Amino acid sequence: MGEFKVVGKRVERVDVRAKVTGGAVYAADVQLAGMLYGKIVRCYDYAHARVTSLDLSEAAKCKGVIKVLGPKDVTQKEYNASVLDMMVSANMRGVLGDIDDQSIFTDHVKHYGDAIAAVIATSEEAAERAAEKIKVTYEELPVYLTAEAAKQPDALQFRPEKPGNLAFELPEMAFPDNAYAWGDVEDSFAEADIIVEDSFYVPKQKQCQMEPGSYIALYDDQQRLNCWTSTQMPKLVQKKLANLYELPMTRVKIHATVIGGGFGARLGMVLEPETCALAMAVPGRPVKLLSTREEDWVTSPSRHPGKYWMKMGFKKDGTPVACDAKFENYKGAYYVDASGTAFTTGAWLGGMYKFDSLRYRGESYYTNQSICGAFRGYGNPQTNFVMEQMVDRGCAELGVDPIEWRKKWHKTVGDDGWCIGVPYNSCALDECLDRAAEAIGWTEKREKYKNQTGVKRRGIGVAVMNHTSGAMPMLLEHTVCDVLLHQDATATINLACSDMGQGSHTTLRQVAAETLGFSYDDVHIATGDTDAAGFDIGAHASRTLYVGGGAVKQACEDVKRQLFDRAALELEEDVSNLYMEDKIIHVKGASNKSISVQTIADQGVNNFMNPENGELIGQPGQIKGYASFFPPHNAPPFGATIAEVEVDTETGEVKVIELVNAHDVGKAIHPGVVEGQLDGGAQQGLGMALTEETYYDEKGICQNNSFTDYKMFGPSDMPKMTNILVENPDPTGPFGAKGVGEAGIVPPVGATANAIFNAIGVQILEAPITPEKILKALEEKDANS
Amino acid sequence: MKKHTITLTVNGEERDLIVSSNRTLLDALRDDLGFTDTKYGCGTGECGACTVLVDGTTSINGCLTLAATMDGKSITTAAGLARDGNLHPVQQAFIDNDAIQCGFCTPGMVLKAVSILDENPNPTEAEIRHGLEGSICRCTGYTKIVEAVQDASNRLSGVGE
Repeated sequence: MGEFKVVGKRVERVDVRAKVTGGAVYAADVQLAGMLYGKIVRCYDYAHARVTSLDLSEAAKCKGVIKVLGPKDVTQKEYNASVLDMMVSANMRGVLGDIDDQSIFTDHVKHYGDAIAAVIATSEEAAERAAEKIKVTYEELPVYLTAEAAKQPDALQFRPEKPGNLAFELPEMAFPDNAYAWGDVEDSFAEADIIVEDSFYVPKQKQCQMEPGSYIALYDDQQRLNCWTSTQMPKLVQKKLANLYELPMTRVKIHATVIGGGFGARLGMVLEPETCALAMAVPGRPVKLLSTREEDWVTSPSRHPGKYWMKMGFKKDGTPVACDAKFENYKGAYYVDASGTAFTTGAWLGGMYKFDSLRYRGESYYTNQSICGAFRGYGNPQTNFVMEQMVDRGCAELGVDPIEWRKKWHKTVGDDGWCIGVPYNSCALDECLDRAAEAIGWTEKREKYKNQTGVKRRGIGVAVMNHTSGAMPMLLEHTVCDVLLHQDATATINLACSDMGQGSHTTLRQVAAETLGFSYDDVHIATGDTDAAGFDIGAHASRTLYVGGGAVKQACEDVKRQLFDRAALELEEDVSNLYMEDKIIHVKGASNKSISVQTIADQGVNNFMNPENGELIGQPGQIKGYASFFPPHNAPPFGATIAEVEVDTETGEVKVIELVNAHDVGKAIHPGVVEGQLDGGAQQGLGMALTEETYYDEKGICQNNSFTDYKMFGPSDMPKMTNILVENPDPTGPFGAKGVGEAGIVPPVGATANAIFNAIGVQILEAPITPEKILKALEEKDANS
Repeated sequence: MKKHTITLTVNGEERDLIVSSNRTLLDALRDDLGFTDTKYGCGTGECGACTVLVDGTTSINGCLTLAATMDGKSITTAAGLARDGNLHPVQQAFIDNDAIQCGFCTPGMVLKAVSILDENPNPTEAEIRHGLEGSICRCTGYTKIVEAVQDASNRLSGVGE
């Protein structure tokens, strides 16, 4: 591929100067003239109840109150905050079972924190005080917190069209026997010498992005609905709001602000519909809605928790003959993302190993908990916790090394990827495993940690993963980009891709500069305005660099093609005889024949007639490049993590000593950005494995929706960490790049669990693996031995 | 609610304002004075996004501090660390070490780092990590933040110059 000038370099990120001085403007920082403030009244007394009376009168009398709104004072239209319905064809929406089951305010409370009413006032404090005066009475209903409870025949039904509270199962039409499958698992199990089987639990983890949900909406004098939001998906939110409020897209504008972390919590709509409902009630006045941390916790989506059963069969020689699995997730109160995660959890399972047969069933059950939706990995961390522990149990029974087994049996180039029928086109997982093993001293440590008997026992474990770059072919993948070449030979790249903080605007700018042959400083990425930008699905599925970068590359190539066409005319040479260096287009082998990009760009804008001969000087017309890009593939990234832990068998405490992450990233467009994704992903993966879960009591009251009570890995908890970037360019990625936004969270989950298994000789089936669970497992092990 | 007339010197500039007894320093800075570089992350002193420096280098949580108690004090926010367009060495170290992702924790994190280094100009890695407890970052896994603070420590003490 030759030497790159901008790609692969640790350039200064586009956004960091503003961020380090506090000048970056997040949605909560936006101040508009005449701003009003909203406060939503939520039910925090019950997780399931009917509103029997709602009295807004006292609140309306409070100082500073402009309006008080109940369910009938806002649109009655039901909606679905998720965006999966916009990522599939119309007939697939029915197959995915999408239904509109959310409303702005409700009289049927389905989870802790459901919205009942709202106040609009002149200050945040006035709105809060008035909200306290709203009187609501409830009739308590039975609470269903798990799939087992929700599917009982006498359980109340969340939605009449979803009998048994089964929001979604893999549909028969696309998945015979409601299973994602190949081969015949029953036949294959019959050939197995060793069968391992167990039932696991994966937790309701929260993204905990640092910026709580903050929104402003304004129905302006042109009767346009404006919404300032740090959404991951400006163009889909624009369309969703247009649908909900029955407006043409020209009358809905998203002002996409700087995003204070997303990780899936801002995928689709969150509180944009509610904020817009308030703004529609006071036309001409902007309304700001700021969530508290506690409120954000229960109104934005979480990771899908649930019961995950798995059975694997192996032949004596290690051949993986069959894998059968079922994930029953507790989806929460509304349909949002019921189908997506139920499917992908199995897709990642199917994409990993060469089982002769595989069958995965995914079911989503309504429960009286806050909604579940996208969270970095989208089902992959759940699968990693279960699949990788089952593989290690199999390896233990087979007496084989877990790394050697994985190297032999993982899928690779030519095998079906996570989507059956779409084979992998690049894979450097073997190199990831080899380099990680060497970096941590795998062989020596596996030997050393055998048969420990002390109080504190060390263990070392591995896990691998496959993921994706964009959701093609399951979901629509499309980004539009245009590139405006200015008369001074600099370029503005206009597109709707958002940067959640992962660095995508930086890497997109690098792709643009490299493609154009310009310097990094010559290029600007313009985003945030849905009036100006063409379509983009939004930031999800590790797609922004892969698909957005593909669009940027194609649009920049369009600019370059136009430059060369004009240069060919001016130089009276064939395009094939031209080359560009340092923004000068030269004729091959003729050092005196050249024209600068600056000249072409300037003549395109400032085009004049030559007074001597009446002919135009140069070619007229400002150059603009354009791409409406649909990627050809999904360039799956692969990765391996090896974790070393120390388990205190008296207290059950786990200390993570070291983590080595080796990832096949295709090409690291900006190594610092990639390392940052792996570092941050690991912090979240370790949290899922060891400490993080949102808990509910038996009445469905959330117990830890705050940073005080929800334990994340802090600076002193983090282990020594090494990241190894394996660069094996993908043939379809921009400059070979793959998406790495999600990969980092996945294998630390399974690797940590397997390291604990290695240390204490027993597997913990429920995440997070807390000290209590370890002690209980050790006690049971002792009792059985 | 009782009102208090107070004077705050924010980033070197003196400001008079009237605040209710229950007004937090965070709200006064953000909403009354427009210093939106001080962030609300949790409101309960757990995340450190609202960290500011008082009278030089003492870091406090703006969300847990009542504005009325700060009468006559000098407050530094992240916007006040840069001088004449030149970034503070800690800010520059955060940029150079890729220690910034979403940036929401960054203003508070940078101020916390300034206060750590003022107290202990040559901290060990463990001391840096301990000092950063109470400032949550969900993007970086802290790795590059810790490296940035180490780098800033070297820059401030002239190592490598």
